[in-house]
Amino acid sequence: MSIWNYVVTAHKPTNVTHSRVGNFTSPQDLNLIIAKCTRIEIHLLTPQGLQPMLDVPIYGRIATLELFRSHGEAQDFLFIATERYKFCVLQWDSETSELVTRAMGDVSDRIGRATDNGQIGIIDPDCRLIGLHLYDGLFKVIPFDNRGQLKEAFNIRLEELQVLDIKFLYGCSKPTIVVLYQDNKDARHAKTYEVSLKDKDFVEGPWSQNNLDNGADLLIPVPPPLCGVLIIGEETIVYCSANAFKAIPIRPSITKAYGRVDPDGSRYLLGDHTGLLSLLVITHEKEKVTGLKIEPLGETSIASTISYLDNAFVYIGSSYGDSQLIKLNQQPDAKGSYVEVLERYVNLGPIVDFCVVDLERQGQGQVVTCSGAYKDGSLRVVRNGIGINEQASVELQGIKGMWSLRSSTDDLFDTFLVVSFISETRILAMNLEDELEETEIEGFCSQVTSSSVRLVSSTTRELRNEWHAPSGYSINVATANATQVLLATGGGHLVYLEIGDGILQEIKHAQLEYEISCLDINPIGENPNHSHLAAVGMWTDISVRIFSLPELNLITKEPLGGEIIPRSVLLCAFEGISYLLCALGDGHLLNFLLNTSTGELTDRKKVSLGTQPITLRTFSSKNTTHVFAASDRPTVIYSSNKKLLYSNVNLKEVSHMCPFNSAAFPDSLAIAKEGELTIGTIDDIQKLHIRSIPLGEHARRICHQEQSRTFAICSLKYIPSAEEPETHFVRLLDDQTFEFISTYPLDTYEYGCFIISCSFSDDSNVYYCVGTAYVLPEENEPSKGRILVFAVEDGKLQLIAEKETKGAVYCLNAFNGKLLAAINQKIQLYKWVLRDDGTHELQSECGHHGHILALYVQTRGDFIVVGDLMKSISLLIYKHEEGAIEERARDYNANWMSAVEILDDDIYLGAENSFNLFTVRKNSEGATDEERGRLEVVGEYHLGEFINRFRHGSLVMRLPDSEVGQIPTVIFGTINGVIGVIASLPHDQYVFLEKLQSSLRKVIKGVGGLSHEQWRSFSNDKKTVEARNFLDGDLIESFLDLNRSKMDEVSQAVGVSVEELCKRVEELTRLH
Amino acid sequence: MHTWKQIRDREFGNLRPHRFSNRIKSRRLSDLQLSNHKDFLSPHKGALNSLQVDLTEGRYLLSAAADASVAVFDVQRPTEHEAGGLISKHRCLFVVDKQHQLAHKYAVSSAVWYPVDTGLFITGSFDHHINVWDTNTTQVVVNFKMPGKVYRTAMSPLATSHMLVAAATEDVQVRLCDVASGAFAHTLSGHRDGVMSVEWSTSSEWVLMTGGCDGAIRFWDIRRAGCFLVLDQSRTQLGRRPSVLKRSTVNKESNFKSSSAGQTTSAKLRVAQKKLPNGNGSRQVVVGRAPAKGPIKQRLHPGMLSTQDRATAHYGAVTGLKVTDDGSDSRLRLWDIESGCDTLVNFETVRLQTNKPIQLATSQDSTRVFVPCMRTVKAFDMWSGSTSATFRGHYECVNSCWFNEQDQELYTGGSDRQILVWSPPRLISDEMEEGIAEDQDSWSN
Repeated sequence: MSIWNYVVTAHKPTNVTHSRVGNFTSPQDLNLIIAKCTRIEIHLLTPQGLQPMLDVPIYGRIATLELFRSHGEAQDFLFIATERYKFCVLQWDSETSELVTRAMGDVSDRIGRATDNGQIGIIDPDCRLIGLHLYDGLFKVIPFDNRGQLKEAFNIRLEELQVLDIKFLYGCSKPTIVVLYQDNKDARHAKTYEVSLKDKDFVEGPWSQNNLDNGADLLIPVPPPLCGVLIIGEETIVYCSANAFKAIPIRPSITKAYGRVDPDGSRYLLGDHTGLLSLLVITHEKEKVTGLKIEPLGETSIASTISYLDNAFVYIGSSYGDSQLIKLNQQPDAKGSYVEVLERYVNLGPIVDFCVVDLERQGQGQVVTCSGAYKDGSLRVVRNGIGINEQASVELQGIKGMWSLRSSTDDLFDTFLVVSFISETRILAMNLEDELEETEIEGFCSQVTSSSVRLVSSTTRELRNEWHAPSGYSINVATANATQVLLATGGGHLVYLEIGDGILQEIKHAQLEYEISCLDINPIGENPNHSHLAAVGMWTDISVRIFSLPELNLITKEPLGGEIIPRSVLLCAFEGISYLLCALGDGHLLNFLLNTSTGELTDRKKVSLGTQPITLRTFSSKNTTHVFAASDRPTVIYSSNKKLLYSNVNLKEVSHMCPFNSAAFPDSLAIAKEGELTIGTIDDIQKLHIRSIPLGEHARRICHQEQSRTFAICSLKYIPSAEEPETHFVRLLDDQTFEFISTYPLDTYEYGCFIISCSFSDDSNVYYCVGTAYVLPEENEPSKGRILVFAVEDGKLQLIAEKETKGAVYCLNAFNGKLLAAINQKIQLYKWVLRDDGTHELQSECGHHGHILALYVQTRGDFIVVGDLMKSISLLIYKHEEGAIEERARDYNANWMSAVEILDDDIYLGAENSFNLFTVRKNSEGATDEERGRLEVVGEYHLGEFINRFRHGSLVMRLPDSEVGQIPTVIFGTINGVIGVIASLPHDQYVFLEKLQSSLRKVIKGVGGLSHEQWRSFSNDKKTVEARNFLDGDLIESFLDLNRSKMDEVSQAVGVSVEELCKRVEELTRLH
Repeated sequence: MHTWKQIRDREFGNLRPHRFSNRIKSRRLSDLQLSNHKDFLSPHKGALNSLQVDLTEGRYLLSAAADASVAVFDVQRPTEHEAGGLISKHRCLFVVDKQHQLAHKYAVSSAVWYPVDTGLFITGSFDHHINVWDTNTTQVVVNFKMPGKVYRTAMSPLATSHMLVAAATEDVQVRLCDVASGAFAHTLSGHRDGVMSVEWSTSSEWVLMTGGCDGAIRFWDIRRAGCFLVLDQSRTQLGRRPSVLKRSTVNKESNFKSSSAGQTTSAKLRVAQKKLPNGNGSRQVVVGRAPAKGPIKQRLHPGMLSTQDRATAHYGAVTGLKVTDDGSDSRLRLWDIESGCDTLVNFETVRLQTNKPIQLATSQDSTRVFVPCMRTVKAFDMWSGSTSATFRGHYECVNSCWFNEQDQELYTGGSDRQILVWSPPRLISDEMEEGIAEDQDSWSN
């Protein structure tokens, strides 16, 4: 790989952090605004559900998001503040359907300690000011003037240092905040302050309340007429105002989110850490609060935000599971729940670990993530491909072939679907109710049976003509187009027929030396009804031949090599280039460039698409030709920029397919799967498809073992009531069904830390190695752990060896036939030793001290790259002769690491605590020890995502003939559910794209006027520097979404034609 | 909370990364003890007077001692290992002592890095000289002759438009020495006795704070004549929100601690910060960032000559100031810089050396202040004043300490000529020896 890297998002963030409901897009529209960390989505509430209106990136991590309505306005504005202290006020422009920036600015202070509990941004209900709590001890005020414009911000000193929450109170003549805080002795109190805009200071507020619940964490201001505040604790809920105080005890729970139901604030929905949704009711007589009542409603995903939409519909945004649209019913269901989940919105976050596997061995990785947390934990299988949107399906067993027919040739739509089985042929047709039903036709255009070819009129449905095979020979294979029929009978006879006006006429007959396995006469010349070439696949000599038509002269013979016979051949043309595709019985596909005039085959390429015989069929979508390869891994073959591309179809096995463009299902395909016939449309682009495997527990580490065809995970289950609320397991899953097939429970207090599949020198078995830690309540740092070595025997985890360690085993790596473990501050190498009794054990060989905590370790050859808790990356080397591990070099920056990966021998990639990426390079040619001992930082970039894991691999099929296929990539997974790709580019391409990126920065303006350059600058609490040697693929690929005039603008700035730019950018999109 | 659980919680977004690092740092801070894995081998033959790690890389420790020597250590990369790699030994990279032809003649009282890179450092000595050294060649590139013993020198970590070394000497005037020109830029008059400590503001490159043997702490804007604020120990109105003052940005008080020892003697002042500012190099932070700004300045200036000018921060000399300051009445005081008020934080009884400047240190999150108290160093909670730890290890008085924020290590230098490292403990376990019998020790760690 190289130091010039291209970072692109393959799967956007799905962790919902904020949601608000208001009239944003027009005074009549009710909108749901959702923030997913670095994106916002605007939805419209319609009777049919939520309708997406806009989904845009924000150049920042959204810290706060609020809707507010200025005086005299009929609709709401959106206030957003980012974690890097930028803010903006957005307004909807209904003419262009875009966001317009009303105001923006920077609210950072030069000095100040960022708040520990996250930023708070609130807006006075009477819209007099915006309040921000960004740094300990400071409350920043941005006042509004009379016309709703923002004035200059100022700070007010806040004595309370450990602030938990701040909210504005309703119904106060002066803007008044209530502050929930913790004192030096960890007691929690609430206090009010009036904001005096004139003096730019606080004035003591109307009330305060000391010694609240120790878990009090959340304030809910109650609108008029009550105008108090609810303080939500872990064991009590308190209503407080200047003249009222009511408290009720609750079942111990941590409330994560709330949503107000009624505008008068008498009912609230509360979501807790276990996913329980409750209704809190404030009973009151006019303005006097008489009591509080709480009632559980039912279970949802663990909510991070709750928005009550309308009519008992509620949006539950989640960070730990799928977000949901739910309906609150009047009556409970059988399980006593009032909650009905109407829709789920996939959330991959938090991706704590993942692995890249190629279960079908087809050269395309799929990612299996450990997603979600607590009860919402799941595995997600993420796979790139073309999706089929199923429109209809029927159960039909044993389909052998399928064709679609029109009532007449000039009919726009297909009416009939001919399905052949072993012993019969059935015809399905669309009836008036747009249902597919079986009909009878006496025959139809041209039908080939084992003994004859029949021509049937499409209007009268009468048999018009019939051609009989010579007796003793049955027709094995046949193919036809509008005017020609080519068939092969046993004994190597090849017969060419032409369809005249109601007449079948045998034109030519040829005798070949071997049996024919497949045929094709798909017209690819100028005449769409007539082909002058025929492709024939042969048994025995395993060749494919091209014959001229009608002469049936052999033009070309291409031996295929190997022992696998061709099962399907297809002549086709993409973008004006003719190809011959030839599919073999073992799932391989050969493609040749075909010279249509000479019949010459050149440029042979072979790819593997599956393991079963493939049937090739053309179809067209959006007026371009595609080829569908039906097999155990159905694939669509198409061409772009004169290159053949292959995309997986997101279906399991497909035996046959034909296009079926009917009135009810326009542009659809009919697909025969095992026992089923499906009609569906096909996506025009490939995208990620996600399959969820809910676990009901929190999976933390995953790895795959090819040999046993299993996954193993480290997971934990929370039992809130138990004394030790976490139980940890090692579980074995089947890699096809994802069912638990074996479980090894860990000891009490023993937590699983890492899992790998590996083998050792002098032992042919493959093992799962698990590293654990004993997390004892009385310790701050684990002083004991274990390495467990399991074998999979008869689908069970068998413990083969275990080794106690002096600390947590944070990481394991297979290393030179040995096992390399990161144990607290030490790197330790274990060898696998055969004991006298024939059993094996792990024995320490050598180690290396000198880390604070060695959390992430990767190895390559004898090199070991360590990501430390707080001391960036260091490079160690294992010296075989001395049997020792020594430090070779390190990066002296104080980066707090979250993941590391080795890009190549000299370049290492790291992700750190402040959402940055960086690369360092080994400097083995340095002149001095000092230079050689230092890893030089060569690339820096702000990703804005917290990366938990890097893995080498690719989400797309790597084909030898594409340039993109040569670009090495690393995949990463983040807390927000982002799956991203880092691709190492050649230098010239990097330089070109860098130029493109800087032009795009000028043309594509960030939402809210936020600067892309600043957003991508590497920034942590030590320094902020411009990004270098990393490119933002998301920005570059957004070139393709620009309108033509903007494309022209970019093209001029870069000095490359729009077409060329499109081509080069499209190429990049194929990296993910 | 358990480190392992924190790492796990960070992983799935249950603990914000920023909070995670703060928690780990503060845990490590509260675990400081005499290091079991790191040693500095001191080449000094006299009392250690000054310690500083560079502000750019956080990698090189500059130490100065009474035997007129100055040494530089690499704090990150050990020169050798002992006990199978468990203990790292750091020898100095170089030492400038009396052997060196340009070395100081008497004790070096202060040695500070040039804040922008490690190519230069500045030493001040009792031989009345301030030398600016080129680190790579160990040659003096600029030399200033001062009117008396130099107690302390300081350069502004923020400065972009000047290269001034502020010098606190026996003389009542504070001098600013311009490294770029080699000449004195200003003299600041106001103190009535020698000046023991000097610190630059961490919010403005123009603001300087000095603490004198007269017990006063003065704030100067070097662009203007005279000082603009004198801390007054009788002003203690914190808590009540003074509605008149406009606070500009941030902050809370910055602290000063003052200690007073008996009465005279010298004091050195240094400022500690309280909140952490953004950058790394910010050791000294802020005392007041805000104070420096407009409103206050303007209001105070005119009145400066009147009684306010006589206010004293301490009843003794101010010996240490770290945007916090410290007087020789054996008291440590935390000052709110914005308002110039003493916060009245009651630092549990401290006994301080009063006859020489001492060097205080604070943690970056301003929760702790480290104060040399005779042979020990005490760590105080900044806000409550209670003692959170006492570090005993030196055989004689401790003169200076430096908190290495990057590694959460405290370095202390004493009259016993040693530099001690106080670090979070490392679990020491030697897996190589473990055969059958498990080593109990690692458990108890």
